[in-house]
Parts: sequence; C-alpha cells; structure tokens
Amino acid sequence: MPGTPDPPATPQLERFRRMATMRAFDEACLDALRRKAIHGELHVGLGQEAIGAGMAESLRPDDAVVSTHRNHYHGIAKGVDRRALLAEICERGSGLCRGRGGHMHPFDPSTHFSATGIVGASLPVALGYAHAFRLRRQDNVAVGVTGDGGSHNGAFHESLVMAGARKLPLVVLVENNVLAISVDFHAVSPTRTIAERAAAYGALGIHVDGTDVDAVADTFARAVEHARAGQGPAIVEATCYRFRGHFEGDPEHYRSRDERNRLRNAHDPLTLYAARLTQAGVDRARVDAIRAEEKEAAKAMLADILAEPMPDPAGALEGVFADGARP
Amino acid sequence: MNEIVNDRLAMPLPAVIAEAIMLEMERDDAIVCIGEDIGRAGGVFGATRGLQERFGAERVLDAPIAEMAFTGMGVGLAQAGMRPLIEIMFADFIGVCLEQVYNAAAKIHYMSGGRQRMPIVYKTAGGCIGSAAQHSQALWGLFAHLPGLKVVAPCSPHDHKGLMAAALRSDDPVVFIEHKALLLSKGRDFRHHPDIPDAAYTVPIGQAAVVRQGTDVTLATLSASVEHALEAAQTVDAEGISVEVIDLRSVVPLDSDTVAQSAARTGRLLVVDEDYLSFGLSAELSMRVLESLGFDALRQIGRLAVPDVPIPAALSLEKAVMPGVDAITEHLRAMAKGS
Repeated sequence: MPGTPDPPATPQLERFRRMATMRAFDEACLDALRRKAIHGELHVGLGQEAIGAGMAESLRPDDAVVSTHRNHYHGIAKGVDRRALLAEICERGSGLCRGRGGHMHPFDPSTHFSATGIVGASLPVALGYAHAFRLRRQDNVAVGVTGDGGSHNGAFHESLVMAGARKLPLVVLVENNVLAISVDFHAVSPTRTIAERAAAYGALGIHVDGTDVDAVADTFARAVEHARAGQGPAIVEATCYRFRGHFEGDPEHYRSRDERNRLRNAHDPLTLYAARLTQAGVDRARVDAIRAEEKEAAKAMLADILAEPMPDPAGALEGVFADGARP
Repeated sequence: MNEIVNDRLAMPLPAVIAEAIMLEMERDDAIVCIGEDIGRAGGVFGATRGLQERFGAERVLDAPIAEMAFTGMGVGLAQAGMRPLIEIMFADFIGVCLEQVYNAAAKIHYMSGGRQRMPIVYKTAGGCIGSAAQHSQALWGLFAHLPGLKVVAPCSPHDHKGLMAAALRSDDPVVFIEHKALLLSKGRDFRHHPDIPDAAYTVPIGQAAVVRQGTDVTLATLSASVEHALEAAQTVDAEGISVEVIDLRSVVPLDSDTVAQSAARTGRLLVVDEDYLSFGLSAELSMRVLESLGFDALRQIGRLAVPDVPIPAALSLEKAVMPGVDAITEHLRAMAKGS
C-alpha cells in the first residue's frame, strides 16, 4: 500500500502467499495453454495448493522430493526456480531442462527435485534417495509424492516394504483427491483411508485435511521429524479436491458441472484460509493484495517467457548419453 | 581372492566379475550394490561373492523380491550422487520392473537437458541353459531398442572384468548382460582371452574385437555365441573355409564400423544372435553394414537367431531354435559354397 509501511509477514501470511504463488503459477500455465504455448497434456493442481504450501516449511534444501505428473506445486515448495520451471512447461530453450522434459518431467539437481509422469513410479526413486541418505549418515528425508491412484500401484507396496524394514527416512505424501482420473477412491480402495495401511509397513500413518494449510504444515512437520529421527517411513494422506479435469481437455464425464462447482465453492484452500486470516484480525485488503501481487508477477513472468525462443531443432539428437556416444 | 586362487585360469567367471566389482568399490565409495541374493549368498552364480563381507550389508544390500522398488532405487541413488549397481537376477525378470529402467534411467539424462547424470549398472544374467521360456532369454535387443541405455554382453573373462569396470565408471546407464552358460565356466574353458590381469583395468564400451582373423566370411556375434562361433570356425577351417570372427561386446553402442571393414574384405556377413530374430540385432547390424558399404558391396548376408518362438523346455526342441555350434557350422558351409 503506498504510504503505509508493510506490517511484518506472519508465518500465516507466508503460508497464504505460498498458496497464492502456486495458484497464480498454474493459472499462468492455463493461460499459456490457451495461447498454444504448451502442447500435449497439462495437469494443473488447482484446489491442491494447501498441500504444496504446507510441505514447504519442513523441507531443508538438501532433502529430496520426487513428484508426479501433477508436480508444479511440489517443485515450487522445494525451491525450484519458478521462471525456469514455467519456461520448461512452455517448452522453451531457457527452461529448467532446455525444453527436453516438459511439464511432467522436471529435473533440478540443485534443489534435489524431480518428477515422473508414470503413476506410482515416484516412490522407488524417493526410496533410492532415502537409502543414499542412510549410507552417508545424513539426517535428510526423501519425500515421494503420489496420489490415491498411485497408492494402488505395486511400487507403493514394494517401496514401503523396503523403507519400513530398513527404517529409511522416506515420507510418502499421498494427495488423495478421491479421483484416479475417473475412478472413485472409495470404489476401489480396500481400506477407508490410505494412512491406515501404514500399519502394514511399520510406518507412521497420518490423515489430514489437505485443504487446510495449517493442518498440513503441522502434520507434514510431524512426519518429517519422525523420518528424520530414524524412526522409519511415514505416510501422510492429505485429502483434497481437484478443481479441474485430470488433464486440460478432460471432458469429465465422471462428474457433473454442479458437483465440480460445489467442490470449488466449498473446498478452495485459498478462500478457506483467507476467511481464517480475516477472522483472526488480518486486514482483508492485505490478503487480497497478496493474491493480486502473485497474479501480476506470474503474468509478467509468462509474458517474458513467451517472448523467448523455442529450442533449436538442431539439438534434438543431443544428450541421449552423457559421454556423447551415439547408439 | 588371489591368495586362494593362484591359478587365474581356474577362476570361475563369476569370481572374475566379483573381483571387478570389488576393485571398483574399493576405489569409489559411491558404488552401492542392490539385488536379490547378492549379499549373504554372494549371488546365485557367485558373481558378487565376498562383497557383502568386505563392504557391509548397506553397501551390498540383499533386497526383498521387490524389483520395482529396488530398480527404481537405482534412479534415486544416482540422483543423490551415488553409483548404484542393481542386479536383476535373470534378464527375463525385467518384465516386472522395466518401467524404472526404460522410462526413468534411460531417459533422464536427455529429459533433464543434460543436467542429471544416470550412472547405473543394471547387471543381469541372460542366455540359454535349458531353463525354458521364462528363464532363457537374451533380451539385449529389447534394451537396445529403448534409447538411452548402453547394452553390454561380454564373452571372454578379460572383457567381463574390463567391461564391468568400464560400466561402473560410466556416467550413463549400462545394462550388463552376462550369459548363464559362461557364468558356469572357468577361465580355461574359454578359447579367447581367458587371461585376467590382477589389477583393475577397463575395456572401452562400444568397441568390437576381431577375435579370429579370416578371409572368406565375416561372422559377427557376442556373448556365449562368440565361443560357439570360434568352435565352428575351427571346424570349417579344416575344410578350407576361413572365417573372421568379431565379438561385438556391446549392442549399444554398436561398432558396425569394425564389422563393415571386415565384411568389405570377405564379402560375406553372418550375424549370429541368441536373441530373437525379428526387429533385432541381426537385421540392424546387417542394415548398418549395407548402409556403410553400399547395397551391392556384399555377396551374401546370413542371419542366425531365435526364430521368434518362446524358448522350449525339452533339449531337442531347444536345440532346434537356438543357434548353436552345429547350426553355425552348417550356415558357414552353405555361405562358402555360395557365390
């Protein structure tokens, strides 16, 4: 606000800003898609911001996060350069992976962040980090993110068997948005929750409302502390709602427009948190300003990126092997 | 090891491989081994024997039968700066965990724009020893078809030691395919290069070796078939047919130049491949040689490979589909008679 000094940022306002950053980031992705700067699939996380924002505070720079096809928020939480990430999503040569990875395959060795487009495949990779931390006697944790769909994949079971038996510092973060594309979680899960499966692996299992950023931050901190202390793996199941289709262009035959609108109105983590903050006495204008600032920043970032060139096609065959070998 | 086995030629091939891994683990703390039965048991063929005693149960990790998990652990370990060796006991078992090999390990260097290296060795036993359809496949053609994997399949004890060292020092994922029949052999069973220096050394990945010189037919092959080819070449030599035998040693990179240079002289090329015939090494190598030399450069091209059937159990049936010494000998005779 012109003329008035900014009040000090509270942890709560920081949490709100993180969510606003994430929402603005994926809205910029949607904008880029409309401008045909992204082709192929795009999976945005609208509605799931409280989980990404909630995990950020407990992670150290040398902890590792291995994410999914819906990975932008986790990358931002881990400190991946947002401009490089958005440029990668927009397929630019200046992108995090020089336009070779795209939005499902960001790799950032400097922040120990990576993702996979294959459901369930994130957890074995996170397990590898956890074993490396153990071998090197580092008190770091590896976070493997998956969804309710991924929790039914064999890699979930196998990874937790190995992590549980060896008490490895693995935190399995399950974003349970109740839909594996179209398949309802409750129609296919043998258990009411995913967290309760932790008992089978000697793991800590915690269920949390994934639309409540304070609850996620507390729960995730508990799980990370457990794993960091050498007490073995943890499963954090954060229940949330996906506000858009599985991918952009998903006709969503599996749910009605009314149902989707109802979820958006009742479970938006930003709206819910803004209400909590204003109830606690935070000026509404300040909350709104944070959202506007983040939106503006993302918009400007996108405009810059879209002015950048696409990768040179001459380089398409380079980089299959580190030593430059040709098959 | 050396103090127990004075006669290096008496060393079983698995002991040679274990020695290569041991020497590399001693020089590089980042190397870590994971696999089923590789620790306490020392590997079902003994190719990791002694490693767990020497380096401990965390660096030589006996894994549960959870191939998806520990194959993918290799990727995470590599991303964390380690150099994992992951053992898939038999190549056939890759079906339960191919995801992490072909979608992750193979692609990540490229997908990351060159930012993330993937120094992983996937060590596995392939080849036929009478174990039927699910325990006999070579499968190097499958791995080679998927971009991003180096695929090595040595024959001689010398190359096993040197190529394993090279694989463990490589910054790229290497599928290292041993042959079960060779794993059951000792140094002196080999016709070619059974000698093994004591110290560590590397054999460069991607260079074929001319293991027998000849003038009438160029025979290119790899793995256990090199021994079959040498035996067949010796047999037909007495009949006046001179065969040049080339051990390819790796399928990726494929050293077709060495084969082309030889075939340009002999005018005849026979590719022997224990993997399946169609869409595989034999056609790829033949085509590359033709592309290099021109389509009228050779008088004959022959291919001997498993004719696209699952490998049968009964010995009589297995012999009917595997390109063994007899089939190679007959093929060489037929080619030499041709124009």
